[in-house]
Amino acid sequence: MALYTLDSGQVAAGVKGREFSAEEYIYQLLERIEKVEPKVNAFVSVSKEALDEARVIDKKIRDGEQVGALAGVAVSIKDNICTKGIKTTCASKMLETFVPPYDATVVKRLRDVGAIVIGKVNLDEFAMGSTTEFSRYGATRNPWDVSRVPGGSSGGSAASVAALECTVSLGSDTGGSVRCPASFCSTVGLKPTYGLISRYGLVSYANSIEQIGPIGRTVSDVVLVLNAIAGADENDHTTVGGKPAHSLRQRKGLRVGLVREFIEGAEPRVAKVIHKAADTLAKQGCGCEETSLASVQYALASYYTIAMAEASSNLARYDNVRYGFDLDPEGYEWNSYFAKARSNFGEEVKRRVIVGSYVLSSGYYGKYYLKAQQVRSLIKRELKALFKKYDILIGPTMPILPFEIGEKIADPLRMYLVDIDTVVANLAGMPAMSVPAGFTDGLPVGLQIMADEFQEQTMLDAAYLFEQAAKVQRSPDL
Amino acid sequence: MVTKEEVKHLSWLVRIDLSDDELERYTLQIEEIIKYLDKLDNIQLEHVKPIVAKKRLSGFEGNVLGTKYRKDGFVKGPRMV
Repeated sequence: MALYTLDSGQVAAGVKGREFSAEEYIYQLLERIEKVEPKVNAFVSVSKEALDEARVIDKKIRDGEQVGALAGVAVSIKDNICTKGIKTTCASKMLETFVPPYDATVVKRLRDVGAIVIGKVNLDEFAMGSTTEFSRYGATRNPWDVSRVPGGSSGGSAASVAALECTVSLGSDTGGSVRCPASFCSTVGLKPTYGLISRYGLVSYANSIEQIGPIGRTVSDVVLVLNAIAGADENDHTTVGGKPAHSLRQRKGLRVGLVREFIEGAEPRVAKVIHKAADTLAKQGCGCEETSLASVQYALASYYTIAMAEASSNLARYDNVRYGFDLDPEGYEWNSYFAKARSNFGEEVKRRVIVGSYVLSSGYYGKYYLKAQQVRSLIKRELKALFKKYDILIGPTMPILPFEIGEKIADPLRMYLVDIDTVVANLAGMPAMSVPAGFTDGLPVGLQIMADEFQEQTMLDAAYLFEQAAKVQRSPDL
Repeated sequence: MVTKEEVKHLSWLVRIDLSDDELERYTLQIEEIIKYLDKLDNIQLEHVKPIVAKKRLSGFEGNVLGTKYRKDGFVKGPRMV
């Protein structure tokens, strides 16, 4: 039996019921990783302790001790989320030797319910990118077509889940970095409301808009991980109180708004799949109609202004003294040492940090940053009004299909434009997720579902309804 | 219009050495990116208040591992004075 194909609920039940051992399951996964990694390149590092951790879980079960909801479940972690004793590189030379002395809150919470960290997965350097090509460890490839990008920046997360190299994964989403690769790799990816999940231990890129989010092969996987990691954290004061519990529910009669601007901006092949998805929801008893979100036209400019401004400030800490790689300080004056060390940031990071300092320059602040924050208000206001009328808004997660590796890498603006549908949720701080909507010419299309703040349950209801009706899930040949 | 001198000055402000090649390439690309961000200038927003994000710092201090240049438990940096 191929244990690596099971979803997280099945793994936990199987391990707890002693149908198979956690050790057996982890062993199969490690074999699978060895087999498909040369094609996919999703991992930055594979854990050496995973088998030992599995044996500990098995022993606990044999001894009749309590184990958690994710007992034995293998999770891969995006390499910008801190893992105690395991290198966390952000796919950057600047952090190539960084071994965190603590676990991020999300990692700790996963371990607390029995999950096993199977490895750290690839990303665009410091999560800046939409393709996972800007990594010091080489591009991750899309398991559905290895000549194409898996999306980004959590490309390693989505690819490792789609390629059956782990059961679930954690990514981070600043402007779509969980949903974009979820869409490109035909997996389920969720970005929560800002403040639902602790960012403690997530390496900051644009902290006012980013959140950690789960990726799985099914809605059920995402619900289980979300329940394990969501809730207040004393180490992140932007988290909101309480510990929410989400569930899989059969719910009909949802009011659905199909966002016209998202559909019109999409490639026709993608738009066709999304129209079909809307029909599927309608057949399930949802009231679907087209609606408009006019401020979308300013969303991308607002997003990139804010993200780059915050990036330039957040990445100022990399002075190669507190963090960094080995560079002999002898012969340098303080400032020139900084500048020399920091020239080792990758192409995209340097570009964003410089543009960030441009938009924050005195004289330009009112023209860019302040306006961008105003656009954010405008978008939020418009969305709030729409959510009085609709339970969820839908559209394509990505306006295009996964493209060839290298196709857009030399043209940054063209690359930024692919984020048009995802940045809206980050700017408004609202939840959004991508669920597999279907395939066209053998390539995955994701359906984006958005909901009002803290209405994750409604969003999950819609996703589950769609998943059950559309039956899209399958696995790539690798 | 973004000039090479501007990009050079900005890269110094953020302490990133750029090669001549990079300077050339970045100037063209940043010009294009800024032109796109200029969209923000065409929108009437007088009556819209900007969003203010909550932000606080955590009190965590940890050890830095894995660097060769250390002395007396500290990380060694270049001479300042």
